[in-house]
Amino acid sequence: MSWVTVIWSMVASACLTLAVIYFLVWWSNRAGWANLFFAVTAASTAAFTFCELRQMRAGTADELLAAMRWTHVALLGVLVSTSWFVTFYLGAGRRWLLWTVSGLRAFYLLVAFLIWGNVNYLEITSLRRVPFLGDSVTVFQGIQNPWMLFGYATMLLILVFVADASVTAWRRGERRKALTIGGSVEFFLLLGTVQAALIHWAGLPIPVLIAPLYLGLVVVMAAELSREVLRASRLVHELQASEAGLRESEARMSLAVDAADVGIWIRDLARNEIWASHKWREWFGFAPSEPLEFGAILQQLHPDDREGLRLAHVVAAAGADGSKYQAEYRLTLPDGSTRWIASQDRIEFDATGQPVMIRGAARDVTARKQAEQETQLLRQQIAHAGRVSMMGQLASGLAHEINQPLASILRNAEAAELFLQHPSPDLDEIRAILSDIRSDDERAGHVIDRMRGLLKPQTLATGRLDVGALAGDVAALVRIDVATRQVKLQVDVPAELPHVRGDRVQIQQVLLNLILNGMDALQETRPADRRVNVTARCNDAQLVELAVCDAGHGIPADKLARIFDPFFTTKPDGMGIGLAVSRTIVEAHGGRLWAESKAGGGAVFRFTLPVAEEGAAV
Amino acid sequence: MSVTEPTVYIVDDDAPFLAATSRLLRASGFAVRTFESASDFLTQRAEDAPGCVLADMRMPGMNGLELQSALAQSSNPLPILFLTGHGDIPSSVRAMRDGAEDFLEKRAPKADLLDAVNRALARDSREREARNRQRDLRARFGTLTAREFEVLGHVVRGRLNKQIAGDLGIHERTVKLHRTAITTKLGVQSVAELTRLTDEAGLLTEPKPTFP
Repeated sequence: MSWVTVIWSMVASACLTLAVIYFLVWWSNRAGWANLFFAVTAASTAAFTFCELRQMRAGTADELLAAMRWTHVALLGVLVSTSWFVTFYLGAGRRWLLWTVSGLRAFYLLVAFLIWGNVNYLEITSLRRVPFLGDSVTVFQGIQNPWMLFGYATMLLILVFVADASVTAWRRGERRKALTIGGSVEFFLLLGTVQAALIHWAGLPIPVLIAPLYLGLVVVMAAELSREVLRASRLVHELQASEAGLRESEARMSLAVDAADVGIWIRDLARNEIWASHKWREWFGFAPSEPLEFGAILQQLHPDDREGLRLAHVVAAAGADGSKYQAEYRLTLPDGSTRWIASQDRIEFDATGQPVMIRGAARDVTARKQAEQETQLLRQQIAHAGRVSMMGQLASGLAHEINQPLASILRNAEAAELFLQHPSPDLDEIRAILSDIRSDDERAGHVIDRMRGLLKPQTLATGRLDVGALAGDVAALVRIDVATRQVKLQVDVPAELPHVRGDRVQIQQVLLNLILNGMDALQETRPADRRVNVTARCNDAQLVELAVCDAGHGIPADKLARIFDPFFTTKPDGMGIGLAVSRTIVEAHGGRLWAESKAGGGAVFRFTLPVAEEGAAV
Repeated sequence: MSVTEPTVYIVDDDAPFLAATSRLLRASGFAVRTFESASDFLTQRAEDAPGCVLADMRMPGMNGLELQSALAQSSNPLPILFLTGHGDIPSSVRAMRDGAEDFLEKRAPKADLLDAVNRALARDSREREARNRQRDLRARFGTLTAREFEVLGHVVRGRLNKQIAGDLGIHERTVKLHRTAITTKLGVQSVAELTRLTDEAGLLTEPKPTFP
């Protein structure tokens, strides 16, 4: 076998092998279009090589023309698929130009075949064999087909297209790829074209040796693609390693958050997915692999807290990127008990300002909440027990002390009646009885005076008082009650209000008493409507009027007249002291305290205080 | 022993109340003595005088309940009525359980007070009579000799003179002599009366024999 046959056959088989390999590569990943076009290029090159060998072996002009015709078909495959390969591999090139060169090249071949049957020659005039690599190969001369020039023009256009695509890739930073692929395609195609032009246009009597050039092109392209394959496999390795790392760090994080007793949850708003850590799922009563849904999570909340959390999410989503919010809410457990959760959540937004992600860390604060509630309850109980026992002792002592003289008076009167029934009553005895009755009456009177003294404020330490500051102090005092009873306390005192004259502590006591009464009246009211307003105005030059207004059940008309009586109360655990003392205090200040029922429900307590004289140092 | 009028002893630390209550009871026809403390009453009262006690529950020093228990242990346990200004349930319950005649508010209606006093005096008279009678009986039985007492034990169990003589190892005629002495000393006519009297004096301990 001759060297020519050996070399050209090897070129063809090498190209075919690559074609098959890369076709299979493309088959396994259809998105890699560069692999498919390389496979077509390699297959076309194999065909081209075979046809070229036929040309060198042609004995007659007809054989030569037939081989040449098929060479051009193979060449069409090589050129068009190379152009498409460049496009996909570099990810560059003008599509319109690509379609244009593909179309023109096909048109060029079609026209030549239909009209002349051969692109290069109208007729072969001479045919002879020359020695080449220790063999003899066919060289020829003939009448050139001028249509060939159109082919060179399209070839030039292909070179322009490839150069343009390479420059784009180069500018994008992929310099090595652009240089290797762009450079080799330009180099080998140009070399092949020059050789073809020398033979077919200039008529040099040398054999056509284009196939080895194209093999070079195929090898460069294959080498380049194999780099991609290697890179992909390295990426797979890296991905596996990073996945393992990710799993490891996730495990570490889970361990850390579980150990810290923190539950983590992430709500992906874009994909409407929710992920949560084990602890969080345990708290909220979800199984480890159960899919989570926001509505289902809300269902786990105490009915009173659901709306709050939903609104918190809506409000936070309307805020700025990175905005945080804190929420405390209750979960109702299957056994009916309550778990308190404190959650700190963070909202993330995308570039267009859409909220995309909410990340939250939750803590179980049940123990803290229970302790808080117990402390609060204990505080209330102590305060109440103190009040009740003090007032109870006072009342019991007073009752005994009054009962004693009353009993004496009764017995004396009864005795006197009996004495008077006597025919000759002992008047001295009756006089003694009357004297005793008088002194017992005085005794009872003294007891009552002492009781009144206890209820009455002792001495007034009057001064100039800023009503706004005073109301603010009282609001601060009841802050905890306001929070635990879920009441909205609003203090609205105009800044330009004149100062009043009074005893700070006692006026605070009156205001505190009225506010606490107002809050007591709201116990049956829905939390959203629990409202106590404190307002003040100057109703004439001499008096400032303060009003404490609640939205509670109001005061029944038949009780309105009696609520200021000592020991009169409408509250189940009330002592009936507060309003009586308050009225005494206000009246001692020269003011008035009265109550009104509001038309729309609720009660208003108003009291007046005298305006302090300007600059008076009292 | 002179017959003394039953007296209402009033014990209260509140002098005006003491005077007023005393007046009312005197006007209602009772003999009254007043004491400002329980200890005054216990030391100054007549040893065996009939009557009843009207005491305040709460007093400085000895209180009403302590007075009640001291009185119950004395030889003249007068009925006690309590007065109180406070509806003191635990002490009233205890007082009633320990035999207090009544428990009254200080300002209880006059009729209730007088009824209670009358009831207490009646009870005192009843109990006093029972006490006196028993004391009298025991004195009469005290005059019997040891042998007479022994014979009495057999007689009230229904045994015949012959059986008693056999049991005690004495002559039947001697038994008859003892029986005569017993009936004379106790002033009874029949065995039935003798048995009733023995029972009343609390001396009949063994069950009576039944007829075969």
